[in-house]
Amino acid sequence: MMLGRVAVPLAAAVTLALPAVLDDSALAVYVLLGLAAMVTVGVSLLMGYAGQVSLGQGAFYGVGAYTAALLALNGLPPLLGLLAAPVAAAAFALVVGLPLLRLRGHHLAFATLAMQLILLSLAGQLDFTGGDIGLQAIPPFSAWSFEAGGVTAYAYLTWAGLALVMLVTRNVIASRPGRALRALATSETAAASSGIPVGRYKLAVLALSAAFAGLAGGIYCFYTGYVAPGSFPVLISIQYIVMAVVGGLGTIWGAVVGAAAITLLVQGLDRLANLPGMPSYAPGVLSYAVYALVLIAVVLFLPNGLVPAIRRLLSRERPAKTR
Amino acid sequence: MSAFLTYLLNGLAVGCAIALIASGLVVIHRVTGVVNFAQGTFAVVAGLCASSLLGLGLPHGASELAAVLAAAVAGLLTGLAAVGRPGTTPLSSLIVTLGVGVLAYAVEIVLWGDQPRSAPGLAGSVTVAGARIQTQHLLVIAVTAVAFAALALFFGRTYLGKALTACASNPYAARVVGIDVRRMGLLAFALGGLLGGLAGVLVTPMRPISFDSDVTLIVNGFAAAVFGALTRPVITLAGALLLGVAETMAAGYGYGSHQLEIALGLMLVVMIVQAGRRPAISQEPT
Repeated sequence: MMLGRVAVPLAAAVTLALPAVLDDSALAVYVLLGLAAMVTVGVSLLMGYAGQVSLGQGAFYGVGAYTAALLALNGLPPLLGLLAAPVAAAAFALVVGLPLLRLRGHHLAFATLAMQLILLSLAGQLDFTGGDIGLQAIPPFSAWSFEAGGVTAYAYLTWAGLALVMLVTRNVIASRPGRALRALATSETAAASSGIPVGRYKLAVLALSAAFAGLAGGIYCFYTGYVAPGSFPVLISIQYIVMAVVGGLGTIWGAVVGAAAITLLVQGLDRLANLPGMPSYAPGVLSYAVYALVLIAVVLFLPNGLVPAIRRLLSRERPAKTR
Repeated sequence: MSAFLTYLLNGLAVGCAIALIASGLVVIHRVTGVVNFAQGTFAVVAGLCASSLLGLGLPHGASELAAVLAAAVAGLLTGLAAVGRPGTTPLSSLIVTLGVGVLAYAVEIVLWGDQPRSAPGLAGSVTVAGARIQTQHLLVIAVTAVAFAALALFFGRTYLGKALTACASNPYAARVVGIDVRRMGLLAFALGGLLGGLAGVLVTPMRPISFDSDVTLIVNGFAAAVFGALTRPVITLAGALLLGVAETMAAGYGYGSHQLEIALGLMLVVMIVQAGRRPAISQEPT
């Protein structure tokens, strides 16, 4: 892949250079974009490779955020909290995944949605999670002598996390279990009869995607300094699906492109909606409408997503390389 | 004892509303194989329409009827998006209906704002064996009974109903004998919208409804439909009544804040038990 050899270092260079040139409000978008991309890579792996739909990815994000926040508030070093976030999310995914992954298709979609609703409701009622108000005054992230002061530090932290997540995903896909996953996505029966431990692999992928979401949640809680049930609405899980579908399921870069496209589109419309003279409901309405229309249009007219469509366009221009 | 009876009757009314939503899900799933995530949206649209029309001074009956028809139109539009394009897989259609539900948020906020709205229903209450029950609750139970009877007659006794059932059991064979499967799918969505709308106008006087009430409604409806494996209306009705009574009892005896968890937990248990009973070899979608 000539394209990959040029594009990957170029993308890396751009990501490293961007925090230096962006102003603070743009950097905030940059951080959110990176976090969303991190979760979306997991969703894309789960939906595209293992063929499982999760409408509860926001729950894992929330588990990661609450874990990191609780540890940091109880005086443990933030680095430990950040490391514990993906571990806790993955452990939670293993526990709920064991019964839930017996379900398929729309049953699994509703079951994961139910899981998130139950978790949100519990977080809003329990004392140690701070109820509806949530947890506040979370200390900023620090490790050894380094302390994350401004947005720039979080931008680097986020994108380092994203790079790690992408690397892990790439290696998983290229490995023998990765091929097994692709097999079980097309037919579980056929996969099982060729000796693939279907149940164990599905559980492992769910745990891995939960770990990605947990890591993003951990960074998010240090970045914003507070977490509350309202930070992880059902819509956030839908948003990750939209991003994964738009970018192209089962492609790592698709997840990043999808997250970037949706985040930038929504942010752009948000600016537009906050212009003077716009009605007060404009921001919400515009973002709902964008999620919905983009999702419907892509599912119906571009079912493979943006990245595969662009790849096809590029390869069509160079017919010598095909076949 | 009379408290228990009150909770039971109120629970049955809540369960009936859930049953109407669930029956819409079942009708659509039977005919098209699609789980319609926007089913709760139909109820919200109808409820909000009814409250607006009543606010404009239209009489009872006419406004509710118009609201239910509006929900049926919403159902038809959803169907056009979800199954109108040939070759859409059921899972893609589920994601499309998810999108329709979110799109409806935008429309609803523009038209009705983001605050909960209520509508006046039947006032007053009657006393049955020492238990006070609101007339509105009795109305809900009566309408649900009529609706389920009408559905049974429609599917069992009319050509159109039989054609819908034919699409459900074997779409290919249905096409061979000249049934337009796509049109039947759209019809099922319109019917689903009608049933969802009926639930919406009946629920709105009992508890205020806002644009994001659809998540609770659809989750409850899906939970009930899961009892009947998304295909059998009668078991769905039983499941919905059980769910409604369980939730109302929980609220009545002081676990009101855990209502949602009870419904969802019940749904998860039923789904997992059903999945465990499924034969090891099953036909996979191609």
